[in-house]
Amino acid sequence: MEPPRDEQLIADLQALRPTPRPQFAAELDERAAAGFPRRSRKGAPAISFAKRMKWPEHPLRLVIPAGGVAVVVVAVVTALSVGGSGGTSSEAEPNASSGLLSQVERFDGHAAPSGAAAAGSSEAGVEAEEGSQASLAAPEHTLGSKVPQAPGSTAPFGRRAVERNAEITLAADPKDVDDDASRVFEAVHASNGIVMRSSTEEGRPGEAGATFELLIPSARLDDAMAAFSEIDAVRSRHEATADITAPTVTAAELLKESRARIDGLLTQLGAAETKEEQETIEAELRHERRHASRLAAQVTHLHKRADFSRVFLRIETGGGSESSGGAWGIGDAFHDAGHLLTVTAAITLVALALLAPIALIALLAWLTHRAWVRRERRRVLS
Amino acid sequence: MEQALVAEAKDAPKEADLAFDRLYRSSRDDLYAYVASLLRDAPAAEEVTAAAFERAYRKRNRFDPRRGEPRAWLFGIARNAALDELRRRGRQAELTAEPADLTAFGAEEGAEHDERRLAVSAALERLQPAERELIALKFFAGLENREIARVLGVSESNAGTKLHRAMTKLREACDGTA
Repeated sequence: MEPPRDEQLIADLQALRPTPRPQFAAELDERAAAGFPRRSRKGAPAISFAKRMKWPEHPLRLVIPAGGVAVVVVAVVTALSVGGSGGTSSEAEPNASSGLLSQVERFDGHAAPSGAAAAGSSEAGVEAEEGSQASLAAPEHTLGSKVPQAPGSTAPFGRRAVERNAEITLAADPKDVDDDASRVFEAVHASNGIVMRSSTEEGRPGEAGATFELLIPSARLDDAMAAFSEIDAVRSRHEATADITAPTVTAAELLKESRARIDGLLTQLGAAETKEEQETIEAELRHERRHASRLAAQVTHLHKRADFSRVFLRIETGGGSESSGGAWGIGDAFHDAGHLLTVTAAITLVALALLAPIALIALLAWLTHRAWVRRERRRVLS
Repeated sequence: MEQALVAEAKDAPKEADLAFDRLYRSSRDDLYAYVASLLRDAPAAEEVTAAAFERAYRKRNRFDPRRGEPRAWLFGIARNAALDELRRRGRQAELTAEPADLTAFGAEEGAEHDERRLAVSAALERLQPAERELIALKFFAGLENREIARVLGVSESNAGTKLHRAMTKLREACDGTA
């Protein structure tokens, strides 16, 4: 037999070509005409596990929806956690003061080392001072007649001396400034507070407004701030606390020692025999009394700082964010929309930051799997 | 022509169906021949052929004519399905299916024809599986070199060179058999 020539070889190869059974061809034609409906895979070869399981053929088609679901889940969880822990900012946040209060109360319960020592040693001293201050602390006495002393003053903080300051800005229409100012006065009086300074300006939006510098009994600060917040739309609100227990206790103890020295000098004066001796003791006595007077003023001032909170209240107009007496306008809509977009962007960023490593790992796994499948397919034919 | 049909198919779903129908009719037997050559198992070849068409049908709207001819795309799908099937079974690929039924060649062609075809069949058996696949793509499925290149993921010149080497080896194997 002669070796085949090229044409002959090709003809022989084509003659060896496998052909489908007519029955199979007919069935396939039918399925093609019907748009290849999905078959039951019983007994069929495992062409694709994913297909048999009705999973997407391409891993990306599984990864993309899974990633989308994960993004949504993380975003929701983040939003919930952000919402749950919110309120640390006191801007337009009614619960800010209570947050600060609880912070201070925690601090009171587990005082810092220096504060704790001071508090422990100071209790008797502070109480002992209350009676003897009356004659020296005239301003306090005056205030005390207007303000019912507390359970009042430092009750929310236990026996610690805590100074509180607050600042609140209200947004108003120019025509509402006078009414709002009147309501501020009412709220201050209702809280037994004092208006230290006030000024009201009339005019166009941006020019009209009012400012108040107030002293509010610390025990009633929360009620007063709530009352101020109801006067008009709150544009911003800030509160701060400072623990002044240590200086208060120190000043009180120094005052007590000074008074003890005065008593001692008075005794010495009574026992003095010579004129020179008397003059020397009297000079020391004058000096010590001046010292005691300064200390008493200092103690009074510190008590006043703890008992009264300084509040700065502003009523502003214009600036595009006035609330029209509480009505929600287009400016508010833009502001809210911007805020919403910012929050959404932030949440999305956090979600992406969390998902990026997961997505990277998934991508690497997918690429590795794909490379492995390709290598295995090549190996089948090698 | 098929490329144009598929390009049109992207515009309208009905056109896509018509284009796929044309692709199916022009490729049914060729695809089966190629898959049967790879699997050497007629029932499995039927399953894989049907599954490849089904998969291609589901993906027909995602076919991008810029990335190659529709036949090459279809054969690529079938090749992956067949190789996965072989992988699952842990078999080595073998090009020719069941031993050729020489009685089907026709008595009038004579004993010399039968003998020569047996020799070609035996020579095919001695080729590497990848070489046998090349010959199946070219002479069983009737693909052009550029289509073969697309199916195998190589350049057209590389596919041509490999095919030439496979044919040379087949000829030598036939010479040896003869």
